[in-house]
Amino acid sequence: MILRMLPWAYLLAAFVFIYLPVGTLVLFSFQEGSLPVPPFNGPSLRWYGDILGDDDLTGALLNSLLVAFGAASVSVVLGFLAAYGLARHVLPGSAVMRGLLIAPLTVSYLIVGLGLLIVITRAGLGLSLVTAAIGHVVINLPIAFAIIYASMGAQQQNAERAARDLGASEAQVIRLVTVPMLMPAIAAAFFLSVTLSWDEFIIAFLLTRFDVTLPVEIWSMLRSGLSPRLNAIGSLVFLVSVSVVLILELLVFRRRR
Amino acid sequence: MTPRAERIRGWGFAAPALLWTVAFFVVPFLVMGAMSLATLEGRTLVWGLSLANYVELTEKAYLARAIMVSLEITVTVTVVSVVLAYPLAWIIAFRVPARWQRLALLLAILPFWTSYVVRSYAWLLVLAREGMINNTLIGLGLISEPITLANTRFATVTGFVHFFVMLLTLTIYANLIQLSPNYRRAAMDLGANAFQTFRHVILPLTLPGIVTGAFLTFVLCIGDYVTPQILGGNTELTVPQVIMVQLGRRADFPLASALAIVLMGIVTLAYIASARWLRLDRL
Amino acid sequence: MTAPVILAGLNHWFGPFHALKDIDLTIEAGEYVTLLGPSGCGKTTLLSVLGGFIDPSAGEVLIGGRDMTHVPPAKRPTTTMFQDYALFPHMSLRDNVGFGPRMAGMGRAARNARAEQLLGMVGLASEADKRPHELSGGQRQRVALARALAVEPDVLLLDEPLGALDLKLRRAMQDELKSIQRQVGTTFVHVTHDQEEAMAIADRIVVMNAGRIEDVGPPARVYRAPASLFAADFMGEMNHLPARITVEGVETPFGLIPQALPPTGRAVACLRPEAITLGEGQVRIGPARVRDAAFFGTHARAHLVPDATPDLTLVAHLPPGAMPAPGDSLDLSAAFDAFRIFPVKE
Repeated sequence: MILRMLPWAYLLAAFVFIYLPVGTLVLFSFQEGSLPVPPFNGPSLRWYGDILGDDDLTGALLNSLLVAFGAASVSVVLGFLAAYGLARHVLPGSAVMRGLLIAPLTVSYLIVGLGLLIVITRAGLGLSLVTAAIGHVVINLPIAFAIIYASMGAQQQNAERAARDLGASEAQVIRLVTVPMLMPAIAAAFFLSVTLSWDEFIIAFLLTRFDVTLPVEIWSMLRSGLSPRLNAIGSLVFLVSVSVVLILELLVFRRRR
Repeated sequence: MTPRAERIRGWGFAAPALLWTVAFFVVPFLVMGAMSLATLEGRTLVWGLSLANYVELTEKAYLARAIMVSLEITVTVTVVSVVLAYPLAWIIAFRVPARWQRLALLLAILPFWTSYVVRSYAWLLVLAREGMINNTLIGLGLISEPITLANTRFATVTGFVHFFVMLLTLTIYANLIQLSPNYRRAAMDLGANAFQTFRHVILPLTLPGIVTGAFLTFVLCIGDYVTPQILGGNTELTVPQVIMVQLGRRADFPLASALAIVLMGIVTLAYIASARWLRLDRL
Repeated sequence: MTAPVILAGLNHWFGPFHALKDIDLTIEAGEYVTLLGPSGCGKTTLLSVLGGFIDPSAGEVLIGGRDMTHVPPAKRPTTTMFQDYALFPHMSLRDNVGFGPRMAGMGRAARNARAEQLLGMVGLASEADKRPHELSGGQRQRVALARALAVEPDVLLLDEPLGALDLKLRRAMQDELKSIQRQVGTTFVHVTHDQEEAMAIADRIVVMNAGRIEDVGPPARVYRAPASLFAADFMGEMNHLPARITVEGVETPFGLIPQALPPTGRAVACLRPEAITLGEGQVRIGPARVRDAAFFGTHARAHLVPDATPDLTLVAHLPPGAMPAPGDSLDLSAAFDAFRIFPVKE
C-alpha cells in the first residue's frame, strides 16, 4: 500500500518544489505592504498599478517585445532557408555546415555575448537594441534551424517533387508546398525563439546601453532588494511566457497529432 | 538541374545563415581567443601572443578557486538534477494515465518559462531570512532563529536544480515514452521484476537521453551568471561572476577572454567524456 | 515443455467497447493454433489475455490445468513473441536470448551455452556477438523466437510474428516456425490476419470477428465447410448467390440443391471460384460469357456472366492451359457439395 502511494507522494513533492518559487512570487505580488515576505496582508493590486505607471518598465517591456519578435523573425527566416538548402540539395561538406550552424548552442550565452561585445566595441560601434537582437539571433538561429531541419522529412520531399513535376518553380514550391507543410515546425521555432529572446538576460545586459530590455531593467531593480514591485513585474512576465507556451501547445502541437 | 547548378543553389539558400554565424559567432570567438593572448598595460591594450593571462589563472588563488567552485557547483547540480528528474519523468511516463500525461508534463515544466532573472529572485523570496521557509519553520516551532539559506552555495544549487529538474524531466520523459512498451513487456514476460527491468533494459536504453540532458545541464549551468550572482551572493565567486567583475570594474577584457576560453575548454572536456552516449541531434 | 490451454467464458471491455465476447476455446498441448481475423477483431486482445498483459473483465484462463487468469506475465508458463520483436538493442544476440535464463538466476556459462544452443536451432549460431540492428528482418524474427523459447515456456504466444517480413521470406519462415514447433513440442498460439499463413502453418484455425469466435477447426475443414458466412469470406474468395431454403432443398438461380436444412427462407449460397468447373456437373450453371480473364500461373482467374443470370458476375479459377478470351462463351457447372448455404437473418 505504502509502495503504491510512493509514486504519487513523489509527484506531489516534486510539484511543490517546482511551484514553490512561482507560487510565492505570484502570491506576494498582491501584497499590500512594501515587503514581499510573510505575513501576507493583501490582496491588493497596488504594485501592479505602480509598475504599469512606470515609464522605464513599460518602455523596457516594449523594447523586449521588439527585440524578441525581430530576432525571432530573422532567426526563422535564416534557419528555414538554411534547412531547405541543406536538406534539399546535395552539398559537399553539408555535415560541417550543419555542425557550424548548431555550434552556438554548445557555447554559454555569456561567451557569445562577451565575444560580440569585444568585436562591437573594438569596431567602435555603439551598443543598442539592434546589437542585442543580433546576439539573440546568434543563439536562436541554431534552434530554429534544428527544429525546421528535423521536420523536413521524406514525406515533404515527395510532395515537393510532385509539385516540381507538375511545373512549379522553386519559389512556388517553397511558397505553396514546403512552407505550408512545415508550418507547425516554423511556428514552433518562431515562438520558442520569441520566448527565449524575451527572457534572455546576459546577452541583452552586455549588448545594450541606454535602451534596455525588460530582464535588464528587472536586474537593475533587483539591486534595491526584495520588493513587491519585482513580484508584480515578475508575475506579469511569467503570465506572458506561459500564455505563449499555452497558445503554442494548443495551436501547434495539438494539431500535429 | 546539373549537379553544379544544384550545388550553387543549395549554397545560396544556406549562405545567409552561414554568413550570420560566421560574422557574429565565429569571428567574435576568434577575436576573443586573440584577446585572451593580449595584455593590458595600464589601461591600454597590447595585442600579442602572451600566455600571461593563463599563467595568472594558476597564480592568483581567487581565479583558480572560481574554477573549482564552478566545477563543484556544476557537478553537484547535474547529479542531483538527474537523480531527482528521472523518477519524476518515470512516474509521468508510466504511472500517470495516458490521457493526463501531457497535462502532467506541461504542469511539471510550466515554471521553466518564468523569466530567467525572475526565477532566481523568486527563490530569494523563498530562502530569505524573513522568507517563506524560515517563516514556516519558525511558525511550526522547529527553529527559533532564522537559518541562513540565501547567499549560500545551497541557495545557488537549489535555484539551479529547480531549473534543470524541469529541463531533464522533459528530455528523459521524451526518451522513456519513445521506447516501445514491448521492451518492458518482453522483460517482464521473460521473468524480470520491476527493478531488473529498469536496471537491465530501461536504464541502458535511456542512457543516451540521460547523458544528453546531463551534458546540456552541465553546459548551461557552468556558464550561468545570474543564478550564482542573485542566490549565492558574493560569498564565493563562480567563473562567470569573475568574468563579469573583469568586464565591469577593471575592463580587463584579456583576462575575461582567457576565463571564457577556460570555460569552453571545460565544456569541451565534458563533451569528450560523454561523446560516446551523446545524441545532440535528438534534442 | 508444453501444456493445454482452456479459455472459458472470456469477456473483455475497453471502456464501452466490448472487445471479447463469450470466448470459449480449448487448445491441446503441443498444438499449433492460429487466431485469424481482420484488424480489430479481438485476436491480439485475446493473445494479451493469454500472455497476462490484459486482465480480462470476466472468464477464466487455465494453462496446464492451473488457473492463470490473474497471474502476471512473469509468473506464467507463457512467453510472448512481440510483433516488433522487442529485441533489446543494447545487448548482443547471446545476451538477448540469455536474458530469460539470467532473470531465472542461471549462471553466465550455463546461460551462454543455452543461448548458443537456441541460436544454433534457428541457424544463427555464428552471429551470437552481433547486435539486433545488424540483422535482417528475418534474422531478428528468429532471434525473438530463440529468446522466447529460452525460458522453456509451456505455451508460446506469437503476435503477427511474420508481419514485418516480405512475402517470400514470410513463406519460408512459416515452414521454419512449424518445423521448430514440431521439434520443441511447445503449444504455439499465433495471431495473424493472413489466411494463407494460417492455413500453411496451423493445426487448427480460430476465425475471429468483432470479438467473437466464428469458427474453429483444421484448415481444410474451415476452408471447405466454414461455420459462418464471415469465416467463408475471410478464408478466401467466395461467390455469393441469392438462395432460398425450402422443404425440397435450396433453390438457387441454377437449380435446386438437395440439402436438409430447416426451411428458414432467404439464404446465401457460397461457391469457391475453384469449385466452378467446365462442362457437365450436378448443378448446371450453363453458358456464361467471359468478361475478362487473367493468368495466375496455377490457374486462370476469370469474371463470368452466366446467360441465366445477367445481373450476377461469378469469379472462377479455370485450368491455366486454355486461357479464355473476353467474349468467349463457356459452359459451367459445379458439384452439390461445393455449395455452402447460410441462412440470412431477417
